[in-house]
Amino acid sequence: MGGPFLVGEAFLLGLASGPACVASCGPVVVPSLLAEGAGWRLNARYLSSFLGTRFLGYLLFAAIAWELGVLVSPPPAVRTLIYGGIHVLLGVALLWYARSIGRGCAHACAASGLVSIGRVGKRGVPGAAILGLLTGVSLCPPFVAAGLRAAQLSNLAAALLFFAVFFVATTLWFVPFVGMGCVRRNASVIFVARTAMILVALYYLLAGVAMLAGRRIYG
Amino acid sequence: MADPACTAFAGKTPPRSWGRALLLTLPIALWSLFMSLRGLLQPDRSLQIASALTAAFLIALFFMMMKTSSTYRWRRWFFVALGVLFPIEFIHNVMVLRGSMGIPIEEMIAGRTPFCFLPIPLLILPAALTKTLVFPGSLLPGGGMAGAGMAAMAGLWLAITLVVGKGWCSYACFFGGIEEGMAALPKKAHWKKLDPRLRLVPWAVLLAMVLLSLALFEPAYCMWLCPFKAVSEYVAARNTVGMVQNGIFVVLFAALVIVLPLLTKKRTQCTFLCPFGAFQSIFNKTSVFDIKIDRTVCSPCVLCQKSCPTMSLTDESIKKGETLMSCMKCGACVDACPKGAAVWHIRGTQVAVKPERARLMFLYAAWAMAAMFGGTIITQDLATILQRVI
Repeated sequence: MGGPFLVGEAFLLGLASGPACVASCGPVVVPSLLAEGAGWRLNARYLSSFLGTRFLGYLLFAAIAWELGVLVSPPPAVRTLIYGGIHVLLGVALLWYARSIGRGCAHACAASGLVSIGRVGKRGVPGAAILGLLTGVSLCPPFVAAGLRAAQLSNLAAALLFFAVFFVATTLWFVPFVGMGCVRRNASVIFVARTAMILVALYYLLAGVAMLAGRRIYG
Repeated sequence: MADPACTAFAGKTPPRSWGRALLLTLPIALWSLFMSLRGLLQPDRSLQIASALTAAFLIALFFMMMKTSSTYRWRRWFFVALGVLFPIEFIHNVMVLRGSMGIPIEEMIAGRTPFCFLPIPLLILPAALTKTLVFPGSLLPGGGMAGAGMAAMAGLWLAITLVVGKGWCSYACFFGGIEEGMAALPKKAHWKKLDPRLRLVPWAVLLAMVLLSLALFEPAYCMWLCPFKAVSEYVAARNTVGMVQNGIFVVLFAALVIVLPLLTKKRTQCTFLCPFGAFQSIFNKTSVFDIKIDRTVCSPCVLCQKSCPTMSLTDESIKKGETLMSCMKCGACVDACPKGAAVWHIRGTQVAVKPERARLMFLYAAWAMAAMFGGTIITQDLATILQRVI
């Protein structure tokens, strides 16, 4: 298939899948973004960091998907293990993020303005980057759809291009989140965001552990 | 500030005469009888008696509100009766229908569950984005065990909510009564110092559950956090995860609905968890009725603050002469204030000018709703009990 058609297909698929991507990433993005400082610039920086590493996650996935060809539809047991592992990592990252809020500002990492997790200071990693990477490699339905298509392509470059364009199209749906910079941040808003993050993290942890243990969540 | 010419209206309203109280009760008496007419005309004797008893109960309570000019203690009788009777009837029904409180996931997916108002905020985003209801019930009449469609229920809820705001949580919610009853049992609170930040937790629960409901395409609160699953209906556990889910329901119910209300004399589930309550708080901004503190007569003795079951009064809010937006308009602070500084108020009018008129207008709306929702439920509950007894 020709390049323009491939680009067009990836773009349309990304555009159509965007709301599902936003819904899938919402529990991670919205509370963590609310927990950051106010101002659209800072929020734009958060989203850049989040989406940048999410893009890395996409490319990584694309490469593996193309290499293995079948990763997007592995046996159910393997898929559940991958899902479970990513859920647990996401839960731990969110808890860590919630713990780190308000801690970094007194340190050197305050220069970046974003909440850092891990080591406090210049070596701290922006939480947004870690969350972006983890949501990037999580197997949400639109992502699996793109993965299936990427696996059918004839070469790695085409698979990476497909995922890159798919990513750009889904990213358009995240742009309105910059508007959350206008929400006034005070102690109450930070508390609500932090508590929501902990609740979401607990869900991911519980669901992840259940999947790793080979248990079904429902029924 | 109150107009000096009108200060006669400020302060506690004295008890009314029997005749005047009866006259003021007349509209609600007619409404209550109208509501119970359906039951009274049924051939079922238990339903007839239950309808008559419910109507008498509602009319008597409203009459006492008019006679004594006190709201909270009389409303509480109704609210506790509703909260206690609802689970009895509900559990009885599901036990008769399938012999268990646990609903198999297949039945749930098939929509054989009654509508509950608690997940309303969780349904909005998925419905707006995908035109799909992520609640296992039908949008149209005939869906669910209750027989009423969600569209009708949600429409009624919205219409009422726009008028009474968060008053819904004190006059229509069939869950809050148990904890209010528990909170009424001890003479004084054993735990008095509660972290005021806990008041914000329902907002966090609302945010997390709305986002998770959209991501997972399910009413996440119903699946994971609702304490009232312990006294209504839950997904039948078939594995460890199911047991964990049901364990969460039971622990939350025991802690927030039984133990903590006994220790704090507060409605702890409503104050510290309920996402619907947080959502409903937003409508306190649209409601025409609210509670104000008349700063010209306030001492301040903070009795209003202590009496509030939802911690909706703080030192700062009292200084501003208002309640927080989480106020459920139960009337506890108004009744507790010895100087009559806490008053019912209609937005756009002067504070403490004819507050009793504002109270009456609110109570007519709220009690009509109570008779319509709660009265129907109480009637059914009593009828079920009577059928067993007679």
